[in-house]
Amino acid sequence: MTTAVTTQQATVSGADTGAGDAPPPRATRRGGRGIADSAPRWQIFLPLGLYLLFTLIPFYWMLLFALRPAGSTSLVPWPATTAHFDKVWNDLGFAIFFRNSLLVGVASLIMTTVVALAGGYALARFKFRGRNGFLLALLCSQFIPGALMLVPLFEIFRNLNLVNSLWSVVIAETVFQLPLSLILISGFIRNVPGELEEAAWVDGCGRFRAFCAVVLPLLRPGLIAVGSFAFVHSWNHFLFALMFLSSQEKYTIPVGLNYTIGAESVDLGALAAGGVVAAVPVVIVFAFIQKWLIAGFSAGAVKG
Amino acid sequence: MTTSQHPRAPRRTRPAAAVALAAALALTATACGDDGTQAGAEGEGKGTIEFWDNNGGVRTPVWKKIIAEFEKQNPDIDVKYVPVPITEVQSKYDTAIAGDGLPDVGGVSTSYLANMVAQGALDPVTDRIADSPLKGKLSKGMVDSVRAAGGDDKELFSVPTSANQGMLWYRKDLFDKAGLDAPDSWENFYTAADELTEADRNKFGFTIRGGAGSVAQALEMMYAQSGIDAFWDGDKTTLNAPENVEALEKYAGLYKKSTPSADLNNDFTKMVAQFGSGEIGMLQHNLGSYTDHVKAFGKEKVGGIPLPASAEGAPRTLASNPVDGLGLFRGSENKAAAWKFIEFAASHEMNSLWNEEAGSIPANNDAADDAWINDAEPVKAAMESLNDPETKIVQLPYYLPDWNNISKADMEPDFQKVLLGQMTAQDFADKLAGLFNEAQAEWKEQQK
Repeated sequence: MTTAVTTQQATVSGADTGAGDAPPPRATRRGGRGIADSAPRWQIFLPLGLYLLFTLIPFYWMLLFALRPAGSTSLVPWPATTAHFDKVWNDLGFAIFFRNSLLVGVASLIMTTVVALAGGYALARFKFRGRNGFLLALLCSQFIPGALMLVPLFEIFRNLNLVNSLWSVVIAETVFQLPLSLILISGFIRNVPGELEEAAWVDGCGRFRAFCAVVLPLLRPGLIAVGSFAFVHSWNHFLFALMFLSSQEKYTIPVGLNYTIGAESVDLGALAAGGVVAAVPVVIVFAFIQKWLIAGFSAGAVKG
Repeated sequence: MTTSQHPRAPRRTRPAAAVALAAALALTATACGDDGTQAGAEGEGKGTIEFWDNNGGVRTPVWKKIIAEFEKQNPDIDVKYVPVPITEVQSKYDTAIAGDGLPDVGGVSTSYLANMVAQGALDPVTDRIADSPLKGKLSKGMVDSVRAAGGDDKELFSVPTSANQGMLWYRKDLFDKAGLDAPDSWENFYTAADELTEADRNKFGFTIRGGAGSVAQALEMMYAQSGIDAFWDGDKTTLNAPENVEALEKYAGLYKKSTPSADLNNDFTKMVAQFGSGEIGMLQHNLGSYTDHVKAFGKEKVGGIPLPASAEGAPRTLASNPVDGLGLFRGSENKAAAWKFIEFAASHEMNSLWNEEAGSIPANNDAADDAWINDAEPVKAAMESLNDPETKIVQLPYYLPDWNNISKADMEPDFQKVLLGQMTAQDFADKLAGLFNEAQAEWKEQQK
């Protein structure tokens, strides 16, 4: 049984890569002149370079203000100082905010992915009354801004004694990210041929075992896409953390960043240093998962 | 039933759906609770109270000092300090009012006081002040502003702690070099704006606020120049009176003539940063930017004076700036302890400490003679002008729920049109006046 399942898995893995990260077929690359072959290199690299410059300037601005001393008007961060980082990390409490953001991000990632996986499987594999209506409702829920739900959510969490608990933020983030995640995951699962699962059943697997052994490994790009989206969204989200938490020890990084903005002045050095602290995990996450993320989104988009 | 049905799959969808539905209904039912306006209780004057700082982060260190001192003197009271970023404090209060999650004490500015009073979130503090050591100690101008901003002519809904005031900041070094007098009259102001400008060498006499916050600042300039001392004349605003329109024309006429063209999008941050890093002679902004100017130029090179009187010998007509205060929330279950904290924070020593850190005008009159005020000339000048019996404070209608919408979203783009010459000062003033008149009529209707 194990052998059969492994063989099937290998076969489908190979097939699936075509949708995501596999190179284009050799014939296409050699036959005919593609865009890359026909255009002079500068026509590709110049716009890309300009776009890159446009994208990187805000990052440079952030690093410049974070590293140069207060009051300096130099256009290069030299002599560099770590005073702003010291201030945000130790005085403004970013060490605590960072830990809280990490907890919220990871917990939202896990909850969103697990629930979306279960719900997405049901949507992809079962036909039940109201399924299309449910999918439509999921889509429509994307048009509801989070701010509209603040008061009812606040009351629910207050009655559940969850106000000022990180769980309130985790639950709210999960709830708001589930619709899109469900739709994406169900699209990925639909792309996995049902026959693969049926073969596993024939070999004696239950539905759950077959799902874990056959379907789950093929969903890796989709899971990474959905998980990273959930993490980054929770990491960056400001509103729920501000509204549901009432203690400095519970606040997350986006709330902390606003601490640097006063009524009449802005501490630009601290704001920029806080921005760097906030951006680093996101940049690292994207650097590691970039390949899977693109594969995941393109597969979901084309075949969903 | 399924596209891919497991041979042993049981059908259990109905019980599961019923459980899910019941859970959803239960959660929804819990959301139908109280709002934040229940009566609360005096309590025993001890225990824990929660305090929301409406300018969290920036003012956190000074509040922590005050709280530590309070807890030392009142060992049976613990203060839970919650710093709320100023940019979102109003939303946080609104959500907490609707969701019954308000603290015991909170920092409240007159710019949103009316909104909170209208929702029944705050307890009046007039009687408590009368029975406390604060009686007679609070700045009359600030008390009047808080009373007017609450929308109730009788009751005070916060204890004023500090105020800001519009100032003219000027570069003493540039004025001395050009042989100009300080801008202590409107004639001196416009002369200096003109003479300090050398656009081709990127030197300008003035920087104007064309972006966020431009309308309130323009109103200050209009009333200070016109000498009109009240915002309302009966049910109609005076802001489109001919004297105000003339003042607006002169003020807006400075754009590009004596200011950088980039000023069109200036909010306070850009404006203050521009003044601090460039060759600009004057800036109109409140006391809050004093520390930034000192950092940029040193105390000796920058001066700050209240907006001049409309004419020599005439009283100053200063538009009211938002006054910060401490509010006691109606739903507090420990009002006695909460009031002790408010009383302590507004006392001479603590109020002086807080305002020294913030660079604002203290509400406690006893702080007027403190050494730091004598060292900070602009603060002293602002405090003297505010407490001068001759000075007329034009109470801007912060109590109108639409104040922010009108003065920001509705009219800021139009102010940019005035700067660009695409709209006349008269049309702008008429439109703004129309909106305020309408909002005032609606508000009066709601008060009936």
